[in-house]
Amino acid sequence: MAGRDEAEGMRARDVGVTLGERRVLGGVDLRIPRAQVTGLLAPSGAGKSTLLRALVRLIEADAGSITLDGEDIRSFDARVLRRRVGFVAQTPAMLPGSVADNLRHGLDDLTDDALTDALHAASLDEAFAEREADELSGGERARVALARALTRGPELLLLDEPTAALDEGAAKRIGETLRSLCDRGLGICVATHDRHFADAWVDRREHLQ
Amino acid sequence: MSSMVAKVVAGAGFTVLAVFLSLRLRLGLAREIGVAALRAGTQLAVVGALIALVFSYPVLSFAFVAVMLATAGVTAGGRVKGLPRARLRALISIAIPALGATGALLLVGAFDFTARSGVPTAGILIGGALAATTLTGRRLLEALVDEAGEIEARLCLGDAARAALQPSVRKSVTTALIPVIDQTRSVGLVTLPGTFVGLILGGASPAEAAATQLVVLLTLVAVELAAGMLLAELTMRALILPGERIAPLQIER
Repeated sequence: MAGRDEAEGMRARDVGVTLGERRVLGGVDLRIPRAQVTGLLAPSGAGKSTLLRALVRLIEADAGSITLDGEDIRSFDARVLRRRVGFVAQTPAMLPGSVADNLRHGLDDLTDDALTDALHAASLDEAFAEREADELSGGERARVALARALTRGPELLLLDEPTAALDEGAAKRIGETLRSLCDRGLGICVATHDRHFADAWVDRREHLQ
Repeated sequence: MSSMVAKVVAGAGFTVLAVFLSLRLRLGLAREIGVAALRAGTQLAVVGALIALVFSYPVLSFAFVAVMLATAGVTAGGRVKGLPRARLRALISIAIPALGATGALLLVGAFDFTARSGVPTAGILIGGALAATTLTGRRLLEALVDEAGEIEARLCLGDAARAALQPSVRKSVTTALIPVIDQTRSVGLVTLPGTFVGLILGGASPAEAAATQLVVLLTLVAVELAAGMLLAELTMRALILPGERIAPLQIER
């Protein structure tokens, strides 16, 4: 069974990260299987964001190993890795232009149907496509960033504090969206210190010390 | 009174007038104006003497240009702190286009192949490249911090690091080129630039002064564009890490 676990989703073992002179993470283990919502729970400042960035190689881990379906992530082209494993930052930046421009970024052949599907999957109406991205609220940006990541067809999604600064209703919509994506087979990892959100929406928990 | 003495006396007179006005209006600038005027006088006297020496011994013109380049590299490098080996990269960005363009102008016969033509031509082009390098570098380093979220978003969407940096690079070079493009566009309408005025005062015909000014301005546009792009390219090369990552920056504003 251990072999099967390794072949499915992402796994970090004894991962360490040093930024400048500072040891930010050390000895971290994490598993993100497909078709489940994994909650990465830790207080603010514990290194959740750093760990998520290391999983998509925005930051390079200098100790331990990180694998995707059993293969070291360093063996992948980083651009391919980041399409297979989507990452949505805590305060996602919008690219200039409309929501559609954001979703189509780097995907010249994205069909209108695929664009609409991604918006729906992120609980957004298709009318959103024409909105200017820099005029969106925090909650709308979070969902557009999610839809934008979904247009790449990821197998796993990493979300950094997706409910930060959202009201209860918006957080619930995000939770429902994640549940629906998970039901489609996506593996989801939500870094959060919001225990209420975790209680309501995550299937399994990993604690970062 | 000779013309040279009259010029110095007139300049001193206007300095006294500016100091008087500053004192009278309590602007607190009297000391600064006085020191600036003294510095300008001393520096120009020294430079004048050095250039006279260079004209007498043309081989010294290479050393003179080298000192100008080194000073420009140190100045621009100091303005783009945060970039690894900033001074060297700034020096390269200034030297290649400025010296290349100077050489081209001398080779095609736009200016005489003499120290009297070469040193001032190199000087004006080094000055332009210095301005473009500094502006591009400052704007780019600020953009890399201010637009870090956008750059990260592009990386996460599968862009290569170079592609993720391109919008910030383009904006930085464009911004740095605005002054020289404006200067070129408004020449003769809003201002009479230094080369033109200097040549007219030196006795050249207006047509000759205009032609010289034109070649200087148009060369400056190309040199500044090349300097800005070169610095941007060197900056990208310094920041892009293996695995399509971008090195974190720490800059002083």
